[in-house]
Amino acid sequence: MKWTEVTVSTSNEAVEAVSNILMEAGASGVKIDDALDYLNLKPDRYGEIIDLDTIPHQTSGAKISAYFPETVFVPELLPTIKQRVTKLADYGLDPQPNEVSMADLSDENWATAWKKYYHPVRVTRYLTIVPSWEDYQAVQPGEQVMRLDPGMAFGTGTHPTTKLCLQALETVINGGEHLIDVGTGSGVLSIAAKAMGAGAVEAYDLDEVAVRSAQANLDLNPVAKDVQVAANDLLKGIHTQADIIVANILAEIIIPLVPQAKANLKRGGYFITSGIIDEKFQSVLDATTAAGFQITQHTQMGDWHSIIAYLPTDED
Amino acid sequence: MAKKVANVVKLQIPAGKATPAPPVGPALGQAGINIMGFTKDFNARTADQAGMIIPVVITVYEDRSFDFITKTPPAAVLLKKAAGVESGSGEPNTKKVATVTKDQVKQIAETKMQDLNAADVEAAMRMIEGTARSMGFTVEG
Repeated sequence: MKWTEVTVSTSNEAVEAVSNILMEAGASGVKIDDALDYLNLKPDRYGEIIDLDTIPHQTSGAKISAYFPETVFVPELLPTIKQRVTKLADYGLDPQPNEVSMADLSDENWATAWKKYYHPVRVTRYLTIVPSWEDYQAVQPGEQVMRLDPGMAFGTGTHPTTKLCLQALETVINGGEHLIDVGTGSGVLSIAAKAMGAGAVEAYDLDEVAVRSAQANLDLNPVAKDVQVAANDLLKGIHTQADIIVANILAEIIIPLVPQAKANLKRGGYFITSGIIDEKFQSVLDATTAAGFQITQHTQMGDWHSIIAYLPTDED
Repeated sequence: MAKKVANVVKLQIPAGKATPAPPVGPALGQAGINIMGFTKDFNARTADQAGMIIPVVITVYEDRSFDFITKTPPAAVLLKKAAGVESGSGEPNTKKVATVTKDQVKQIAETKMQDLNAADVEAAMRMIEGTARSMGFTVEG
């Protein structure tokens, strides 16, 4: 089915009224680009980085777009929409710039079009991440294939922070290690660790949505069927002795994790951290070394850093 | 996970009934996110509000994973509920279809304050009152 997009440029204060005018004109929904929404953006409780310089956004006023199916003759609607928006001035709302435009939308199958962005991707020397709908078999000796569906948890495998972590895991896993994945997101690191030969793997995330996403991805990978995934706030209440702890989370969250990681790591174990941007790198490095870890590797991709830290034994 | 925001999309769509059709499809398809994953989760989370139009803000991260939060219903929906009418007037300047009080306007402004880009409650009330009058509602008091 073909659709027509009608866009109204207006002031921030008229967003609610204009949205209603478009809905009453028969739109099944609207898209709102309001400059003030972007200025008021705040990080969520799980930690995220917001940089308006890299987010496409409306810089002033607001644009509201409505969509009409081909069964609606839109040119007939436009004068009424324009007139009702103009009238908002009579009701105490500034409608300016009050520009109304229409455009045809290409006829796409939106239910599946997004899949074009996802294909098998080689993320490390030995690891290939494959979306579940793609039929892909390993083509090289030693290549491990992980099935992963993109969704509501970070870690599709394509981001530098995830790649850095996967490479670090390849460096420290020899086989049979007890590993803890803190802030598992999509579960990508736990699945990879199992594919690399890790033994018992525990995965934790504060976000219940991530826990469900991780479990769904674990279920796609028989190698990871015994990974234990649960909701938990970092390592609070966890008392174990792991060989490797990996955390691909933001620097602000890594710093309070450092003492918890030390308490749950065997002497001679490794603490891998990633998700660290340039300006936070030194503070994570300082917190890690102050806790008694030795830095054995620091890698970087663009603005992102990853650290492998070693917890020395008495003999070291 | 270490999430950097790549895109933010705000929509108003029917609770419990989101489909890949516009506005969801074009808005999220461009961002490359799993549309079926979004509609399934949105519909599950908003099923108990079916029949309402719900604003939703979708945050897309650099690796095309996403998250979303739903907001308070649009001002028009709350106004119709307060006035007990199904729809606004097609000719708001000549045909009045309902009446709301200043107190109701204030209550709606306070309910929506967290989601409106208004400096204070007075500014929010002005937005709500303007919306009410643009729907052919008389504001009393």
